Amino acid sequence: MRAARLSALAALLTFGWQGGAHAGPPVSFAAAANQVSTRTLANGMQVIVWPDHNIPSVVLYNWVHVGSRNEGSGTTGLAHFFEHMMFNGTSRRAQGEFDRLLEASGGSNNAFTSQDVTVYQDWFPRSSLELVLELESDRLANLAFVPKVVENEREVVYSERRLRVEDSNPAFLEEQVQATAFVAHPYRIPTIGWPADIKSWTLADLQNFYHTWYAPNNCTLVLVGDLDAEQAFALAEKYYGPIARGPAAQGVRTTEPEQQGERRLTVERSGQNPLLLLAYHAVAADDARAPALNLLQTILTGGDAARLHRTLVEELKLAVEISSGWSEGYDPNLYLISATLPEGGSAAELETALNAELARVVRDGVTAAELTRAKNQQAAQFWRGVSTLDGKARLLGEFAVLHGDYHKLFAAPAAYEAVTAAQLLAVARDVFKPAQRTVGILQPRVAAEH
Amino acid sequence: MRGMLMLAVTLLAALPSTGAQPGDAHINVPVPPHLNVTLANGMKLLLVVRPDVPLVAFNLVLRGGARLDPPGREGTAALTADLLSYGAGSRDAYAWADTVEGAGGNLEAGAQGEAILVRGQFLARDSTLMLQLLSDAVLRPHLAAAEFDKLRTRRIEELKAIKDSSPEALLGNYGRALLFASHAYARAVGGSEASLARITHDDIVHYYANELGADRATLVIAGDFAPAQMRKAVSAAFAGWRRAPQPLPPLAEPQRLKGRRVLLVDAPGAAQTYFWLANVGVARRYPQRAALQISNTAFGGRFGSMLNQELRIKAGLTYSASSSFSRGTVPGEFAINSFTQTDNTARAVELALATLARLRSAGLDATTLDSARAYLLGQYPLAFETSSNWAAALGDLDLYGLPDSYIGEFGSELTKADPASVSQVIAGAYPDPDNLAIVLIGDAAKIRSAAAKLGPLTEMLLAAPDFAPPYSAP
Repeated sequence: MRAARLSALAALLTFGWQGGAHAGPPVSFAAAANQVSTRTLANGMQVIVWPDHNIPSVVLYNWVHVGSRNEGSGTTGLAHFFEHMMFNGTSRRAQGEFDRLLEASGGSNNAFTSQDVTVYQDWFPRSSLELVLELESDRLANLAFVPKVVENEREVVYSERRLRVEDSNPAFLEEQVQATAFVAHPYRIPTIGWPADIKSWTLADLQNFYHTWYAPNNCTLVLVGDLDAEQAFALAEKYYGPIARGPAAQGVRTTEPEQQGERRLTVERSGQNPLLLLAYHAVAADDARAPALNLLQTILTGGDAARLHRTLVEELKLAVEISSGWSEGYDPNLYLISATLPEGGSAAELETALNAELARVVRDGVTAAELTRAKNQQAAQFWRGVSTLDGKARLLGEFAVLHGDYHKLFAAPAAYEAVTAAQLLAVARDVFKPAQRTVGILQPRVAAEH
Repeated sequence: MRGMLMLAVTLLAALPSTGAQPGDAHINVPVPPHLNVTLANGMKLLLVVRPDVPLVAFNLVLRGGARLDPPGREGTAALTADLLSYGAGSRDAYAWADTVEGAGGNLEAGAQGEAILVRGQFLARDSTLMLQLLSDAVLRPHLAAAEFDKLRTRRIEELKAIKDSSPEALLGNYGRALLFASHAYARAVGGSEASLARITHDDIVHYYANELGADRATLVIAGDFAPAQMRKAVSAAFAGWRRAPQPLPPLAEPQRLKGRRVLLVDAPGAAQTYFWLANVGVARRYPQRAALQISNTAFGGRFGSMLNQELRIKAGLTYSASSSFSRGTVPGEFAINSFTQTDNTARAVELALATLARLRSAGLDATTLDSARAYLLGQYPLAFETSSNWAAALGDLDLYGLPDSYIGEFGSELTKADPASVSQVIAGAYPDPDNLAIVLIGDAAKIRSAAAKLGPLTEMLLAAPDFAPPYSAP
């Protein structure tokens, strides 16, 4: 029965998919790759276009291949700071003009920064395509560095850090665990930056970073929506074509030396609920084991039927909530298992029970029923992911940049379908090694009474 | 294109009611044609056929929601909703989750102020399973005492955990308790630690028996299915559902606050102060909603808004400053939300107040008004991409008794909104800065004197188990 359900779902992804409401007769998902086209401009910039005429809108994602892994001591947080600075004016346009022009033409925008990439996003009506490309290319080529604007934005970023890290116990603990689990690789750096660095970057640091990383040959531009591919390429050529190629991007040379023995840390902060965070060294995005690890994640914590939720939250009631996941990046990152305990709960007791569950996975693997359920969940999640323009732009970019080729997106359903229980067992044994983990515990201090 | 056109023709010929006819196709988002029928037991059914992807989304709106929570037992509707998907029909909680997740589907039940929503999405080929699960959840939930105990404990602990991770997410709970006082909108939908602790299993059984029923329900199904068959299957699945014992009680009009009330929620050691400034605004059926949305987009509804310009872009005081109207059957709150480093609390709050005063005194210039209008026109289609979007949107229209033209003619209304109507809305819908409920979550030892200057001050601890100080607890 489960196998029948799976094969039906796989058939859906293989044969039933149309690639947008008006895209014509059904084509296979693998064949939907034909709807996507790509060009590389003479300056090295890759442009990827996926027309979809479901709604009269376009989504742009510009993936700049720089994240906090490209930072060093004293300049942590710079990649994220650029995410902010890129909205703050160019030699042609004053601060605020980017948003003023974009919003007045019906567009909105945002951006995000990770350890690996910085991504700029615009959502706009099809009529604004040329304006958006003009604005985006202007800030890639002509960013201004006005001291007063920099100082203002420094405060904004510090406010973001207070919001996301300093007033958040889970984020504070994760920052500490990350900095402990990596001793050499720059994945140890918090993407938002250490407070002292946020306070002390210099204008020269900023200019140097910009000229090193913000170049067309270090960008992947993704356009999805109600547009014509040839017209989009022509506009990309018109606005990005004149920008000079930059220096070849320097990769991260450092690899993390093998961890030989568990690391532990405790954080004491004001709060009510203890937290437990386990970090294991995992794999890179383009590792062949990645699909198996994602399916394992689904089996462990992907829903109310998942193992760790059933055992630790529902049955033993040692945790209020448990989640897990890993960041698919250029280099091997951490697999994190994060649990919130009830007030007064015992982190030691939870850790023992969690270890027993992980040991069981490493010893016995998963059941056929669990694997089938996880594959169906993954397929449905994938399906929902490509049901919007935004989802398509995100997935195309992730595969193009972090997995090395956007075609891998269209091969993903088959790749997940092919994973075996033996491969899951193997990846569980590769990742859940007690000697290669870091255990972080946050013990709340009761707030002082008045 | 051909496929969509054929669908529309088929539905227009076959169905007794259809969606609004599209006006200017470049400006309006056309509401897809849909069947709208009422079953014998009073349950309403809306069917929207969108065959482009083989998925079916649903949204079951159960009118009532948290506003019917017994006083002092806030969170009753939310816990009842939770329990609908923790065992029903022939499945216990684990078998339920295993079935839903095993099909790659999802089904979630949750409460809002005026409804419980049961929403989700399944593969089109699992439509029969979907209807079985949905009707089991609503008609045959186990409401097991053991599951109730676990969930209640978990919800209490989750509230504590939010205080440790994102206290700003609770501003509205503190604020609405302060602003709406004894009105139903004062109640925290998910309850507080104290109110959840007071709720008994009997309260859940009682809420289920008295506040759920077919005549209070509207089911919207959107996606890839044959409408005649789906209508028949839904009728069969829900035929045995009884009506609610009594009609839904009316909701009183909340009164606007005159003067100021200030609540300081002490979070010792907090790095920032999170603040919320509000008064009663307007209802969902507010006739000038296009002018309302234009004005709020310009004031606090987008990155380049007046509030974000002043507090973030020009002053560097915060990562974000925004405003919004919460609009229900009766007026909810208009609220300004922001945060700043502890030492800058007074400066940031005063700047937000001054920006509100400037909106009321100077209004919006023509360029800003046109820009806000264009922004809304440009962003609106992005909210209606998927079948899930349409199931949510049509359920929402039904809940508040709004016509399809509320969506289908929004673009035309935006183009018609003129400076005079926007000025009128600013004068009527936005509060005078002298009349505000103000909540500050932060380190009281450092911001107490600044808070006291804003108005009559009450203080409580973030760790306290309620969202209101003891004087107003039930």
